[in-house]
Amino acid sequence: MTQVTRENVAQVIDFLEENKERGGDVSLTDVMHLAEVMSGSMHDFLATVQPAVTEELTAIAREISNMKSDIAQLRANDMTASKIPDAGRELDAIVQATETATNTIMECAEEIMCADTSDAEAYQALVSDKMISVFEACTFQDITGQRISKVVSTLNYIDERVTAFIERLRIPEGLDAELEESDADRRKRELILHGPQHAGEGVSQNDIDGLMNGGQAEIDALFD
Amino acid sequence: MALDLQMPVLVVDDYKTMIRIIRNLLKQLGFEDIDDAADGTEALEKMKQRRYGLVISDWNMEPMTGYELLKQVRADSGLSKTPFIMVTAESKTENVIAAKKAGVNNYIVKPFNAQTLKGKIEAVFSD
Repeated sequence: MTQVTRENVAQVIDFLEENKERGGDVSLTDVMHLAEVMSGSMHDFLATVQPAVTEELTAIAREISNMKSDIAQLRANDMTASKIPDAGRELDAIVQATETATNTIMECAEEIMCADTSDAEAYQALVSDKMISVFEACTFQDITGQRISKVVSTLNYIDERVTAFIERLRIPEGLDAELEESDADRRKRELILHGPQHAGEGVSQNDIDGLMNGGQAEIDALFD
Repeated sequence: MALDLQMPVLVVDDYKTMIRIIRNLLKQLGFEDIDDAADGTEALEKMKQRRYGLVISDWNMEPMTGYELLKQVRADSGLSKTPFIMVTAESKTENVIAAKKAGVNNYIVKPFNAQTLKGKIEAVFSD
């Protein structure tokens, strides 16, 4: 039987030496690299065993190589280093812009409400001036619309790559690991925090009024 | 219980803009003595120092939510009778039911208008 060569063993030792200081911090890429080194070191040995086994191992090596390519296609570093932080900054800017515009509009409304109406001409001038400020403040909508489009593009970018990655790896539905409930999730569940609902999803003010006025019997009936 | 426009009202919301909106609406309705708090903890402290005629509170706040505030208020013999209106984006049936069971006097879902706020305040004080 053909022996594993000294050079082959040296390659494996080099790999282990390079990574021994990492305290178990091994990535998927490292594992695949080790698999490549191992399979390369066993090349001569594998050539002597049964062709069927060789074929299987070659297929495994090809799959590993393809997976490396798929991971590269995912562009995970680009997502975490650039795309997702950029989207976060866009959302922050949207919050800031809407808050600024809301404050401007409310200041205008408050000044009009508190204005002296005894001088009709001065009052009219003030109202006209404040209305112009309101229109100006409303220009935020155009800019936030563009920012939201950029965030949607990022979500589509991530969705396309993750979907393609799942398809290439042929990950079946239902294989998802159970998610462990975080402290934040537990707080949301215990304090019934759902956040705003989309149109048609939550209950309307009329429905709420019905629940509030219906008494305990009506509420209890919902649980029957 | 009669509606008294002179009574102090406490508005609890972690969003300053919403406090400002509710404050302006309450002023339009004739209320003059309006105080605010940024979450349930601050509200509870203020309520222990001053007797408010009405509390209008958001639900989703950190560290103490409006729902927790409501339960603490109802559990405190000195505060338990304080009228409490929840004004929130939490519009699931289970939220309304939980609030009702905890003793809320009325429930307004955001976004809302001045007429709704006025109607709910009047309803609380006509009961």
